[in-house]
Amino acid sequence: MSKTSNINRVDGFAKVTGSATYSAEYKTPGVVYGCLVGSTIARGRIKSIDTKKAEWAPGVLAVITHLNVDKPTGYQKVKDKRNFGQPLQIFKDDSVLYYDQPIALVIADTFERMQYAASLIKADYFKEEHSTDLQKAADKEKKIDTEKGNDYHRGEHDGYKNAEVIFEAEYTIPTEVHNPMELANIIAKWDGNKPTLYTKSQGVEGTRRSVAGVFDVPVEDVSVFSEYLGGAFGMGLHTWPYEIAALMGAKKLNRPVKLVLHREQMFTNVGFRPFTIQKMGLGATKAGKLTGLTHEAVAMTSSYEDFMEGTVNMSRFIYDCANVSTRYRIVPLDTCTPIWMRGPGEATGSFALECAMDEMAYKLNLDPIEFRKLNYAEKDQEQNKPWSSKYLLECYEGGMERIGWKNRKNEPGSVKEGNWLVGYGMGTGTFGCYRSPTSVKAKFLPDGNLVLQCSVNDMGPGTATMMTAIGAEITGLPVENIIIEMGKSGLPKGPTQGGSATTSSVGSAVHDACNLLVSKAVGLASGTLAFKGIPITELTFENGVISSKKNSSKSVTLASLLTANKLDELTVENLSKADEEAKKYSIYSFSVHFVKVLVNPNLGKIRLAHVVSCADIGTVINQKTSAGQMYGGAVGGIGMGLMEALEIDHRFGRPINNNFADYHVPVNADIEKQEVFFVNKKDPISNPMGTKGLGETALVGMAPAIANAVFNATGKRVRDLPITLDKIIETVKV
Amino acid sequence: MNFITFCDLRLLNLLEYPSDFANLKIDRMASKKNNPKEVTENDSNSRRDFIKKSGLFTALAFTPPSLVMASENKWDEKIAEYLETVPLSIEVNGKKHNLNIEPRTTLLDLLREQLQLTGTKKGCDHGQCGACTVHVNGTRILSCLTLASMQQNAEVTTIEGLAKGKKLHPMQEAFIKHDGFQCGYCTPGQIMSGIACIKEGHANSREEIREYMSGNICRCGAYHNIVDAITEVKEGGKEL
Amino acid sequence: MKNFQIIRALSSRTAVTNISKENEAMFIAGGTNLVDLMKKNVVAPDKLIDINGLDLKEIEFVKGKVSIGALAKNSQVAEDVAIKEKHPLLSLALAAGASQQIRHMATVGGNMLQKTRCSYYYNTDMPCNKRTPKSGCGAIGGSNRMHAIFGASDSCIAVHPSDMCIALAALDAQVLVEGPKGKRQIKFTDFHRLPGNTPEKDNTLEAKELITSVEIPDHNFTKNVHYLKVRDRTSYAFALVSVAAALDLKNNVINDVRLAMGGVAHKPWRLTEAEEFLKGKTVSEEVFRQAGDLAMKGARTYGGNDFKITLGANTITEALTIAASK
Repeated sequence: MSKTSNINRVDGFAKVTGSATYSAEYKTPGVVYGCLVGSTIARGRIKSIDTKKAEWAPGVLAVITHLNVDKPTGYQKVKDKRNFGQPLQIFKDDSVLYYDQPIALVIADTFERMQYAASLIKADYFKEEHSTDLQKAADKEKKIDTEKGNDYHRGEHDGYKNAEVIFEAEYTIPTEVHNPMELANIIAKWDGNKPTLYTKSQGVEGTRRSVAGVFDVPVEDVSVFSEYLGGAFGMGLHTWPYEIAALMGAKKLNRPVKLVLHREQMFTNVGFRPFTIQKMGLGATKAGKLTGLTHEAVAMTSSYEDFMEGTVNMSRFIYDCANVSTRYRIVPLDTCTPIWMRGPGEATGSFALECAMDEMAYKLNLDPIEFRKLNYAEKDQEQNKPWSSKYLLECYEGGMERIGWKNRKNEPGSVKEGNWLVGYGMGTGTFGCYRSPTSVKAKFLPDGNLVLQCSVNDMGPGTATMMTAIGAEITGLPVENIIIEMGKSGLPKGPTQGGSATTSSVGSAVHDACNLLVSKAVGLASGTLAFKGIPITELTFENGVISSKKNSSKSVTLASLLTANKLDELTVENLSKADEEAKKYSIYSFSVHFVKVLVNPNLGKIRLAHVVSCADIGTVINQKTSAGQMYGGAVGGIGMGLMEALEIDHRFGRPINNNFADYHVPVNADIEKQEVFFVNKKDPISNPMGTKGLGETALVGMAPAIANAVFNATGKRVRDLPITLDKIIETVKV
Repeated sequence: MNFITFCDLRLLNLLEYPSDFANLKIDRMASKKNNPKEVTENDSNSRRDFIKKSGLFTALAFTPPSLVMASENKWDEKIAEYLETVPLSIEVNGKKHNLNIEPRTTLLDLLREQLQLTGTKKGCDHGQCGACTVHVNGTRILSCLTLASMQQNAEVTTIEGLAKGKKLHPMQEAFIKHDGFQCGYCTPGQIMSGIACIKEGHANSREEIREYMSGNICRCGAYHNIVDAITEVKEGGKEL
Repeated sequence: MKNFQIIRALSSRTAVTNISKENEAMFIAGGTNLVDLMKKNVVAPDKLIDINGLDLKEIEFVKGKVSIGALAKNSQVAEDVAIKEKHPLLSLALAAGASQQIRHMATVGGNMLQKTRCSYYYNTDMPCNKRTPKSGCGAIGGSNRMHAIFGASDSCIAVHPSDMCIALAALDAQVLVEGPKGKRQIKFTDFHRLPGNTPEKDNTLEAKELITSVEIPDHNFTKNVHYLKVRDRTSYAFALVSVAAALDLKNNVINDVRLAMGGVAHKPWRLTEAEEFLKGKTVSEEVFRQAGDLAMKGARTYGGNDFKITLGANTITEALTIAASK
């Protein structure tokens, strides 16, 4: 246990006092209020749009539509190219490609007047037939024309069909929506030709590039501030049309424009986890050795953009199996484009795979863990590489013990507590460990503080806290002496926050920059009179003081060192990247969620009596924030498993539960008892700290764990999420 | 309905039902009784001004061409400002504010957009998430469903009103210690709710805390730690 | 939201007098539903009469009954010691509704007037006869998981969303109202109405009438009572089905019983036939099961809510079982 392994969040004070500044909260003199008016049809063209009443309403400053918009010059240039931004170009023409697509931007001097004016805008349309139902449009499936979209085969194609024991099933997940608590929001302004965005982005640099492309300005001229994000879970991975609209409005009025989406628009305009239909085929010997595995997925995308995620990828490597086939197809529908949502792809894929594994285990009369151990993959068969490290078995053991797996009976419905049926289930998750090139600047100041700078932002996992912990470990400085500057442009370039790669990328860069800075300080000191005759290798740096290892009375403080050298600061800026060695290994995090459910079969009520989430994420930098992330990922998975589904009325092509009262996410009362267990063993390959990433795998595997536990409790196998009560009770049609 | 008819209707109302003003006056006297500092002479003047101006505008209302001209000259906005605002005296975190606001302004938007107190968060704007929870006269409520114009003389406490300088409220300390948040956006609402949960006597078990904290959604899923934090504060027994 | 005038009423009489002169005026109390509807442009009053200053907040126990002021807050009633003791069913139902913040704001009168949670009603660009007469019913043939199985019509299959009202219907409450023509009393079970061809009318209040209080006559349902609310998450969600069950037991024999359901009709659904069946019977799971099945007679479903027949019967059985075991 190091002294930084359980530190409090460094931004905690700001967050508990309300002083943390989220995007729409920057105090901006002269700011005016904008909002987007959406289409009321799902496909067609705008026949006419009546903006007169809105324009006449008190306080209205501008109404922008496709008819009067000053089209950004980049619209021609970046036409179809994806550039962190959506190809959907707002107000480009009269076409309507999905329900609630923005058709007008209304700007007024106050929030209330803007909202009222927006309600006065009415449009007429040439309606066209829309298609929003994946299940009815599945015949329009297509393969994505990239390498990632190719089918995968190992051994015999669909080899599972030749097995002694065959299991086949279809699983569906509905559209789920990220819904961070903070609404998508932006304050946009221009200084001449230079735009500034205070916006909800997971990638400062990506947003800069995207905005630069749309408005045809140099990337360096785009300023982005995204210092606090009220969650995002993936929806901040695009630059969305609303951000472009706010910039258009600000440009037209030459005033800062604040634009905050309504919660309803969060369901229609900023992406979602796509509705996906999956077919699984498993083949095994009677003794329980997997011999074939086929995983097929058909997922929705929009009519104007091909979206894909790694839904079938996990099936290629997580279990030892000679014959594996995976196929991934998409179906364009009349909706906004999906965007990766926490545990992207893998969360969807693991629901099908881990349920199918459970079903196959039952068919083979094996304990589900036993079945998985029989098919434990000693190496990554997909890439034909060794694992950098893999402590999946430790996760199984840790979870079994904590959940009380020994009380589980393989026969469903055979354990009871009072009137409740008891079921135990588990699901495995995994996610790749990635590392992006990242620059960090580290500065020693004469006051003894260390400043760490990087443009990466923190949507909630605790990036700043992680940077602080690593900085403190390397320099020996107290946590209080470390100042983090992040989440805005103009700092050394950091990665987009996503894919569980932030600690690996930014943490490594902090690690490297701090080491270089300490060396620089020591080097500087060794030239001073105090250390004359002492070799540099005998100097140490600890808590802002450089001293001789042999004679600690010989020492120089950093402050005096800087003063003596007439320096305001001692600085290192360094770009860190993964080394070649890492390419020889397959590097993954692993998680296993265990749940104990209590089911009242008469009411269909499912209680999560106990949830244990275990993970092998390499080194745990900070137990406190990592545990928080794991608890949270599990809660996200509980939402996916039990309640989340965007319901579409396909007659109108529009969602009907696009609000927080009707789209259910877990509340406090849903979470009865949660535990987290980390193996916490350093990965020797991944990066200098030995971390492997947590944010995504914290969710992956939770939904199937619940489905499997519900089956164990009731004998009911629910293959279409979410597992709502109506799927548990016997339904009779009168 | 566009502005003209909106305005029109208002003015006709005023002509036909002068008793509205009688009521308004009574109300103002009532508030005067409660707090003599609330209504100043200036306010009364502006009220008379308002009646005078609306009387003038009523005459215009009966001659549509003039009305159109009036709106083209942006008189409508000027008069609308008189017509559309009401005086409000409200105390937020111990500081008194005398304001003129539109009746439709919610307490949440008043705090965030006019008083620059952005610690109180907008998560849904429809009473479905709890992020906007504040205390009004000691009770936790949702500021997004509260019309500020109905909070005459109310005492409001927001997240900004808890700490005394760097000295945090015990609930704020407990949230940091137990990591009761990640992104921090629902946190002000959770903390305001958590304090109230204890004061109301609904923090006697983890189960009870979970139920009485269910009006505050946390999408990061920090519920386990939030319950830890509230439990510790409750068991600490400090006066909140 | 359209702007409006706001007038603070100083007595129920002036409140009624004031609103009488207006076409587009509405009373506002807690505002938890009305402000929401105004934000969604479902309703757009020109004037609000703020009635929070009226002296209608008291809970008074007088001979033979309790009178609860229309402005008493939901949490105030739910946590009132005497209500808990004498009308525990009401307390349980209130505590099951919404969240504590909303219960602190919402009033008894407002709770009775809350609008359905039907999505088609809330979305102004969707058909809804309740919101826009003659525009059609979106829920029929659409998404109707939440919707009615009893007493619906071709015009509307929306359900009444309150929990409190289910208990009040079971407890034979009376509603006291004051209007331009004076004061009158309405049986609680007659207060809300079925949609028929005029789903825009939720209740039998006359124009400009103001609810002033609710009275519950004394009864013996102080022990064996339960309010069972079944919903898609553990808390802070509207009922798919709820049951208010009250038993007056003598030596395990049902001396008297009250049963009402929520989430199944345009009004709190009192199960009088099942009540009659249960009276005089000895407590048993079988009897409760029969009562549940009996109560579901005549139910009609619309696809998305087919499960409510099984769920309804099971919820009744479960609620009675829990009530009897207390």
